[in-house]
Amino acid sequence: MRKIKMLRTTLIAAACILWQAVAHAQMHHQHGSEAACDEPELRCASKVTPAFASDGTLWLAWMAGGRISVASSSDYGKSFSTSVAATPERLNLDWGPDARPKIAIDRKGGLALAFSIFKDKAFNGQVLYTRSDDGGKSFAAARPITADNESQRFEAIGFDNNGGLFAAWLDKRNRVPAQQAGKKYEGAGLFFASSKDGGATYSDARMAIDNTCECCRLGLAFDPQDRPVVMFRNIFEGGIRDHAVITFADAATSGEPRRVAVDDWQIAACPHHGPSLAISPSGTYHVTWFTNGKARKGLFYAQSRDGGKTFSAPFAIGEAKRSPSRPFVLAGPLGLTMVWKEFDGEKTTVRLMTSGDDGASWTKPKTIAETSDSSDHPLLVADGRRSYLSWMTKADGYRFIPIGDES
Amino acid sequence: MRRQFLAAALFLALLMPAPAQDSDTQLKPFGRGSWQELMKAHAGRPTIVHFWGVTCGPCKVELPQLGAFMKDHPDIDMVTISADFVPNLPEATRAMLERSGLLLAENWIFDGFADRLRFEIDPTWQGDIPRTLLITREGEMTTIEGSAEIVDLEQWSARQLAVKK
Repeated sequence: MRKIKMLRTTLIAAACILWQAVAHAQMHHQHGSEAACDEPELRCASKVTPAFASDGTLWLAWMAGGRISVASSSDYGKSFSTSVAATPERLNLDWGPDARPKIAIDRKGGLALAFSIFKDKAFNGQVLYTRSDDGGKSFAAARPITADNESQRFEAIGFDNNGGLFAAWLDKRNRVPAQQAGKKYEGAGLFFASSKDGGATYSDARMAIDNTCECCRLGLAFDPQDRPVVMFRNIFEGGIRDHAVITFADAATSGEPRRVAVDDWQIAACPHHGPSLAISPSGTYHVTWFTNGKARKGLFYAQSRDGGKTFSAPFAIGEAKRSPSRPFVLAGPLGLTMVWKEFDGEKTTVRLMTSGDDGASWTKPKTIAETSDSSDHPLLVADGRRSYLSWMTKADGYRFIPIGDES
Repeated sequence: MRRQFLAAALFLALLMPAPAQDSDTQLKPFGRGSWQELMKAHAGRPTIVHFWGVTCGPCKVELPQLGAFMKDHPDIDMVTISADFVPNLPEATRAMLERSGLLLAENWIFDGFADRLRFEIDPTWQGDIPRTLLITREGEMTTIEGSAEIVDLEQWSARQLAVKK
């Protein structure tokens, strides 16, 4: 009897070895990939981020084929320059739903990039940055934004009006001392640094606030006094993952976190669904976010006319039955623009509404683009004249659509 | 003698295709229509459907608890669906299920346009994981967002087994 059992164990063990060999051979088959292909080209990108240079050139930074690449367009996205890989080696790039490469352009046309990689099998991250001084022809070797070796993800970068570069990200370094002290550590700290040389080097990292939600994109904008403002999903008392805004005193000094709304979303999970923030020339903060809280569920918009101290009552966006998601708000030269995705079971549409009175009233939502397979978040970008939708889709490629013709 | 026999058996096993029972431990690709198929297959049986993913921190804590729960509750059907945001990683997924004692559960992995797959399951679900559905014999469904409390699962399954006819 024992012998039979032992033989069976051996057979099962052998079968497992065999299964693993088969599994290993199949492992490069990506289940349900977001990308149409696995080359570094734009058509294979899963995430594309746009930025305009001051001379009107449109730049895109994207992740595809394990690389971050850039290309430019002088005809509003109709044609693009030959792409340049900013990271020559194939990397295990952060493919989380709210991750994407970031691009910021200084007044002289220098390009600053930042992005995250997964650095181990436990999906710990590292934020890397690089810069091009020759108009995107070549990039410096990518370097970590902080010397700390624990885990960073969800970076945001932006230039203020004086050419200072500000960076914020989510950083798990404080879990080590917490765990050593036998304490539970929740979420991640919101860390920040700045660069006076356009992103060639960054200052030492500082923490703005600890124990924020660890898996959502940040919103970053500058107020009329050039102060950085960051919107993030916080973890409030009792594990409530609602949103907050911090107006920094300056690029080296944090400020008080202020709650945007009491949505009361208590969840011990990763929503993977971060907010968006824009600040209009009047100094009004415009915020939009997703929640599934007890107080409200869905996408919402609110504004603050006192520098982020208090916010208006949340205003629901989108068709609740169509799973509205990924809201993005931009303060452009012709006013405010907001886009988000809706899904009807077959098609994803990008819905648009605009406001010409600083967010007091909004137009009726309408569809400006659609696709029938996976798509990136819809993003907005503006040059000095108008705003544009930037949207990567798996089935229909990259879309760059001017806003404002349709009204 | 015995050692030689075992060595021969091992050698033969390596040459043979995977035995039938092993197919039960494979991940089933979850595509269009899979949800209806799954609901039909478990109709009339108390079933727990757990959505998770390899990159989800809270899932790493919860999964072994569910593995232990499954062992203690053979009368409850246990289904796991890896619904991580793409790309899903079959090898890492299987390894985590194995470590958590869930390899013999009915295990699926999202394969296709994730938004559409989620919409078939619940149009209001935006993809946050972990997420657990408790489904009674009558098809009544309770959704637990975030990590489930095992004590809640215990109470729910006790109620299901108490009403057994």
